[in-house]
Amino acid sequence: MHVLFLYIDPGSGSYLVQVIIAAVLGGAFWIKRFWRKIKSFFTRGKKET
Amino acid sequence: MTDISTHPASFRDPAGFVFAVDGVIYRQVNLAYAKQYEHLTSSGLYAKLTGEGLLIPHTESNDNLVLSPDHYKTLLPEQLSRLSYPAEWCPEQLKDAALLTLMIQRLAMANGMSLKDATPFNIQFVNGQPILIDTLSLELYDHTKPWIAYRQFCECFLFPLYIHRYAQTGTAKIAAAWPGGIPAVVTARLLPWKSRLNAGAWLHVFLQNRVTSRKSPIDEQHLKFSKAKLDNLIDHLGSTISRLSIKANASSAWSNYYDETILGKEYLTAKQQLFRQYLDGIRFADALDLGCNDGYFSKILAGTDASVIAVDSDWPCLDRLYREHIPNILPLCVDLANPTPATGFRNAERASFTDRAASDLVVALALIHHLALVNNIPFGLIADYFGQLAKKYLIVEYVPLSDPKANDLIARRQSPVADYDPQHFELAFSRNFEIENKAPIAGSERVLYLLKKRTT
Repeated sequence: MHVLFLYIDPGSGSYLVQVIIAAVLGGAFWIKRFWRKIKSFFTRGKKET
Repeated sequence: MTDISTHPASFRDPAGFVFAVDGVIYRQVNLAYAKQYEHLTSSGLYAKLTGEGLLIPHTESNDNLVLSPDHYKTLLPEQLSRLSYPAEWCPEQLKDAALLTLMIQRLAMANGMSLKDATPFNIQFVNGQPILIDTLSLELYDHTKPWIAYRQFCECFLFPLYIHRYAQTGTAKIAAAWPGGIPAVVTARLLPWKSRLNAGAWLHVFLQNRVTSRKSPIDEQHLKFSKAKLDNLIDHLGSTISRLSIKANASSAWSNYYDETILGKEYLTAKQQLFRQYLDGIRFADALDLGCNDGYFSKILAGTDASVIAVDSDWPCLDRLYREHIPNILPLCVDLANPTPATGFRNAERASFTDRAASDLVVALALIHHLALVNNIPFGLIADYFGQLAKKYLIVEYVPLSDPKANDLIARRQSPVADYDPQHFELAFSRNFEIENKAPIAGSERVLYLLKKRTT
């Protein structure tokens, strides 16, 4: 049997908040990537003209 | 007879405990932690952490020194001579300790382990840098779970730094008032509205507060997580703290004391010469510089290879001194009129400043008038306290009432100052010390004394 020593209390809601923050950070990452793509599309366009 | 005692703060962790044999500190690893301990060494994590100076190194033995039935290994860690606590750290020290914790967590995760707690009490400053001293803090990492120590990390490191960032309070008093960490609900109330515009504060303080204060908690054990997500979270905490601007907005009360002092250059040069001359005539292994200001004289002390504790109550001064990372200077934010008490369960987990700071040489330059005139502490009590802190010598500067700095302090006083003169000063100190040397400091009316502690 795996005995888990809960030596410190992670705190009620502490896991849930990490799940939410990770989702927000993940979302921000995709938005940044998407934004960079749009930006590079236009800057590339500019160079060609 | 051998004197064996368990450390009074070492009773929480089932993985092991700290004990002392004739003053030498050991750490027992219990059988319950055998698997984790073997992973720590076999994965190469221990070698990596100690190699980079992030974790205290130890030598391992199988001797069961305390004849414990739970014994697995006995560790003899590198011994620490100077201990300090977050209630004495300047903001830069807390920030570095926070970044160290995250760096260790990142390395641990890459090697199948994770920090099971994130308290600043597991960190000490050695050679001007923070180091993790609790070898048993690392547990086996379960990739499907978030970080068990996330809340503790926020409450002990991130929140005090955020409050300091907006209120310029320093972090020591927050840590003193909330030794277990300041809760999100309190932090959210203390931070100004504009802090919500800061993404880090919004996520880790306000969102956390909203989620953790929900009336109907959900079963969190079934929430799925991944290593990539935790990597992101740790990186975000790291970049948030690295970018947190914690410098003083305006120059502090003391930050330009020696630059702009009305006492001038002649005074400083003369004082420095006398100070060096006194140091040349005495032998000491460690020193305590009380009221160190920007550490000008602490650095002279450090030049003698002594281990120096530099004390001041002004955090911006200490921040600047700490940033120089001088290996044998430990800057501590302590108000001498109210030094750090013994804290923790039974007041026994963490010793008082007075019990930890005693040194061969105590230095108190441009300090006596503050203790006597601002805090109204009589010369006799100041002398007794310095006698408690100094094992061999005391270098103390007498500042007369006619001195412009002393004059500033008594300008608004209603009652006359009693018994503040060189005779009372010498009489008060003569109970614990004898005068080895005394000389007026050119460019001022001040006097620099070298006193030797009386052996009773």
